[in-house]
Amino acid sequence: MPAERLLDDNVLLEELRKSTPEAVEMLFDRFHGKIFSLAMSILKNESDAEEATQDVFLTVVQKAHTFKGNSALYSWIYRICVNTCLMRLRGKKRGETVSIEDFMPVFTEDGMHASLIDDWSKEVERKALDRELGQVIRRFTEDLSEKYRVVFVLSDVEGLSNEETAQILGLTVPAVKSRLHRARLYLREKLTRYLREGKMQ
Amino acid sequence: MNCKELIFLLSDYIDGTMEEQLRQELSVHIDLCEPCLNFLKTYDKTRILCRLIRPEEIPEEVRNRLRAFVLQKAREHHRDIEKYLERAARERCEQVIDILRAYIANRLSPFMNVLFRTHRDRCETCGAFLRGLNGDKAFPPVPPDIEEHIAEFLDALPPGEVPTLP
Repeated sequence: MPAERLLDDNVLLEELRKSTPEAVEMLFDRFHGKIFSLAMSILKNESDAEEATQDVFLTVVQKAHTFKGNSALYSWIYRICVNTCLMRLRGKKRGETVSIEDFMPVFTEDGMHASLIDDWSKEVERKALDRELGQVIRRFTEDLSEKYRVVFVLSDVEGLSNEETAQILGLTVPAVKSRLHRARLYLREKLTRYLREGKMQ
Repeated sequence: MNCKELIFLLSDYIDGTMEEQLRQELSVHIDLCEPCLNFLKTYDKTRILCRLIRPEEIPEEVRNRLRAFVLQKAREHHRDIEKYLERAARERCEQVIDILRAYIANRLSPFMNVLFRTHRDRCETCGAFLRGLNGDKAFPPVPPDIEEHIAEFLDALPPGEVPTLP
């Protein structure tokens, strides 16, 4: 079997169902980075992410014959990854997560902004800040409960569409949009405070 | 529309999924309300900044460990599958020979008997093979296509039904 043929999802799946070593190798090389980073985003711990990644691959190899092909291969694999990670979280004591409500915008009784809203969007245009801000935002997202974090990671970090995210998580599209919106509102507020005070809250 | 309602609808406004009339209503509000304009700019900027988060890189040693583990498990799984397939093929072959012996000895169950006789008259390959069978001669090897047809009968058997009489 020439390696290029395995790039095709259908061919890869067909070979995976037979569990051929070449297909498993191709599967691993293609997806391990994504799966590990997704597992890290959900579990926030390297050894947990490593074990979860193992489990995901074993599940994919053993369940390949049950995949019906009514979604893309990667979205099926992401779903297995999310489920595997959430199952692991269930057995663990959660790390402290912030209450997202504390970071939602506040309004007066007649629906006007209750506080001053600064425009800091121009202040962060400097390229030098990019790396730092990327790190800062990642730390902020780690404080989110996984309900918001998983949606945020799939949509805004992995760049999946709301429909794909909804399908992977078994949520409706409006539910995904609402969680994503709240996650962004939270991050906007965290960034506002960070930039105002020049340090992490 | 007040500020609170506008902020609630902001993500639809930004991703362009909003209905035109509502969109215009929001635009009018934003033009007149500095806090909302600032909120919009920083909300949108937040969204753009989020793309700066790089997916977590997998450390080299973790990758190597994972790769070795997954490939090892996959090889074991592959061997298990092959063993299973070999055993299944052997068992199927034995089952087919049992059925053929029962056919010669007139020991097929009534259900199997009907299937067999109908098929024998309809399928040339199987028909010729079955007519050539004779209890006295040594049992000939069963060609694969005939084995396949007969195995299909076994699969078609209702659950709990035994194909041969004692």
